[in-house]
Amino acid sequence: MTEAALKGAGSTRLFVLPRFLTAEHPFPWLFPAAALMTIFGIYPLVYAIGLSFFKKNAATRKMVLDFDHNWTKMLYDERVWNALFNTLVYTGLALAFQLVLGMLIALLLDSERKGYALLRALMTLPLVIPPAVTAMMFLLMLNGSFGVLSRGLIAMGLLPVGFSILGNADTALAGVLLAEIWQWTPFMVLIMMAGLRSLPKEPFEAAAIDGATAFQVFFKLTLPMMSKVIAIAVLIRGIDLFRAFDYVKVMTDSGPGTATETLTSYAGRIYFGNADFPYASTIALMTLIIVIVVSSVFMKIFKVKL
Amino acid sequence: MSFKDHDKKTYIVDLAKDFGARRISKRDFLRKAGMAGIGFSAFNTALLGNTRPFRGTSLVGDAAYAQDVEMNKWLKDAAKPFKGKKIRYTSEATPPTVVLDKLKGEFTEITGIEVEIEIVPLEQVLAKATQDVQGQLGTYDLYYLDQSWVATFAQDTVDPQQYYKDKPNLAMPGFDFDDFSKPLVNGLAMYNGKWAGIPFDIPIMSTMYRADILEKHKIAPPNTVEEFTAAVKMITQAEKGNGIYGTGLQAKSGHYSLNCDWTQMIWNEGGSIFTADKKFSGNDEAGIRGLEVYQEWLKNSPPESTNSTWDGQWQMGASGQVAIINSWDEFFPGWDAADSKVQGLWQIKRPIQGKHGLRAVDKAGFGEIPNWGHQGGSVLGLSKYSKNVDAAWLFMQWACSKDIMVRCTLGGGFAPMRISSFADKRVKAKEVVGPGTTRHLPTVLEIINKDMASEPDMPLWAGFSNNEIPVNLGKLLTGQDFGGSAKKCMDTIASLIDAQVKEAGL
Repeated sequence: MTEAALKGAGSTRLFVLPRFLTAEHPFPWLFPAAALMTIFGIYPLVYAIGLSFFKKNAATRKMVLDFDHNWTKMLYDERVWNALFNTLVYTGLALAFQLVLGMLIALLLDSERKGYALLRALMTLPLVIPPAVTAMMFLLMLNGSFGVLSRGLIAMGLLPVGFSILGNADTALAGVLLAEIWQWTPFMVLIMMAGLRSLPKEPFEAAAIDGATAFQVFFKLTLPMMSKVIAIAVLIRGIDLFRAFDYVKVMTDSGPGTATETLTSYAGRIYFGNADFPYASTIALMTLIIVIVVSSVFMKIFKVKL
Repeated sequence: MSFKDHDKKTYIVDLAKDFGARRISKRDFLRKAGMAGIGFSAFNTALLGNTRPFRGTSLVGDAAYAQDVEMNKWLKDAAKPFKGKKIRYTSEATPPTVVLDKLKGEFTEITGIEVEIEIVPLEQVLAKATQDVQGQLGTYDLYYLDQSWVATFAQDTVDPQQYYKDKPNLAMPGFDFDDFSKPLVNGLAMYNGKWAGIPFDIPIMSTMYRADILEKHKIAPPNTVEEFTAAVKMITQAEKGNGIYGTGLQAKSGHYSLNCDWTQMIWNEGGSIFTADKKFSGNDEAGIRGLEVYQEWLKNSPPESTNSTWDGQWQMGASGQVAIINSWDEFFPGWDAADSKVQGLWQIKRPIQGKHGLRAVDKAGFGEIPNWGHQGGSVLGLSKYSKNVDAAWLFMQWACSKDIMVRCTLGGGFAPMRISSFADKRVKAKEVVGPGTTRHLPTVLEIINKDMASEPDMPLWAGFSNNEIPVNLGKLLTGQDFGGSAKKCMDTIASLIDAQVKEAGL
């Protein structure tokens, strides 16, 4: 309500809004969001970029300007390449499993029969558990001595007695992925379900009249029509997976050795363990650059518009 | 991920770990989870139940011990100017901290100074302290400083002995610095001739064994590395089918616990981490020998050893999975707890020794002290950047006073720092099997006086002992790299460490 309107509304003026708030200029309305973005997004980013150009002496804690020290060091750091490889494997496998399982479950639950609404609601439960708690649950369940999952696999003869899934370099990543997939598959289910529900009915009715099989309907109609939805789901989950930290930190702390070390967990170890803030920032920036480049290419190829 | 986000996540992780380790109750877990915004989703974890008893809160007895009236009277007067102040302290869940957290209310009641103790895992403590000193923020008034970090943080703390002299009006009467065990002061608290803090915790490696299992197999408690190795092999062979292994290790890759095990193995074989010329020497003959013995021990340990820190190793002992352990004495009281399945079955002795003797201190570098009993102690450091340094100083003196240290020992059964505490009548009275037992303390005192070993004092050690060394050891022990060759692993670590030492100009 403007000042004039307030005056006209009655003889008593309750309050008058400041002029800048009643103007049509977008500044007052954009300012809070812009300020938050600057403080929590842009400033830390600029600070991290600045930090990456310093070299820190671990003994004296003094930092000197050395533009290429960390960036060059990173190129020759085998652990960075190992972490990048692990990150890509982690992202790829988790995405593949979540996508396939998400689609299958969505197809199963896409029904109006009695009880399905409850099943759909139950599917969302894992999503409300914080990843760190999920990781803790799986850490206990995968314990070689008393974990329920490990003991189950041992009882079935699939693992030797006492085998430590998370303590073995060959199986640790699979253990971590198990938690990741369990928790985030329902997210894929929700997106796929929303996509399935938005598809037009006519093509499916026509296919049914033409006698198309379920496989033909899925591969010739459902999948192509869902491509945009799938692309967005892959993009959102892909970005999130590339920054994998919680499960790795809690379940294996990047180990055994570096078997589950991802870019973010390696950056964390350098930051908190060695207190080499400039080098940790450089690794974090590289992660950001990779995410931006890959996402942009993906969006271009699949014509995704956000 | 932003730092705020990181903090929130780590808070939830710590909370879940505390619950899993039985350090907090189900009720507390749900309440705190609610505060963190998890709400009912935490219920799922709560339903898992408490599966991992630990040496923490369950040890604290209900017995109320009389307070030192004179000390309290002095405290009340001295603290008048600081009434209403709040001091913060972050620490790992060491037994003294856990007990102190329970007693801190008494201090607040007397002084009006509020005390907030953040109990988080070791690596989190390091991260918080590092951030605090790098920015000279003064977020924490007191630091828990593990012995491996003392050199790193010595420049950031106030020398307590000097401060005691400089501030006579705040100097607690009868505090008695001379009462602190000399080996602890020299090996733990001192750096470059200065007290970096006051000794606060002294877990030390000892040899602990299940008397019943050894008796069953007619094995004498081992005195040497060779006897230990032979015993664990024999027991594993005989008992593996029953789920019992010869020993258990804290060999979690990338964790400081693995570094502790490894250093002891090197010292046992007559080696050291550094030589006098400041070169890494874990890859010399003695170092390789030590690591190879450790690889042998690992074969006779529960497979979960490679994913276990000291919590897991303690659990192996508590669940009856292992027969002999060369590790922290502070495991002992937990095994004697009221709800323990192994109550009274574990015995303690001085740590095993190697046949090659010890490397002389003057042949090791950076103040390293090779010996048979690795100490994993900590000091309580007073932050130079604290905004409430005097209030924190009062709390520090109270926490390290004779009275409170004895009461902490009585509450948790762990080794005290003060010579007088060992001889205290109340401590002596608990030298029996049962919760909070102190029956291991006479042996612990002997180990402190005769066998105490210390890791190098160097600013880079916190990083090496939490990253380069345990990560590469983890690669070796889990078969990720080095093809089982201890030499290759040690050579890799040597090249990484020597390069960094050189770059830092040490």
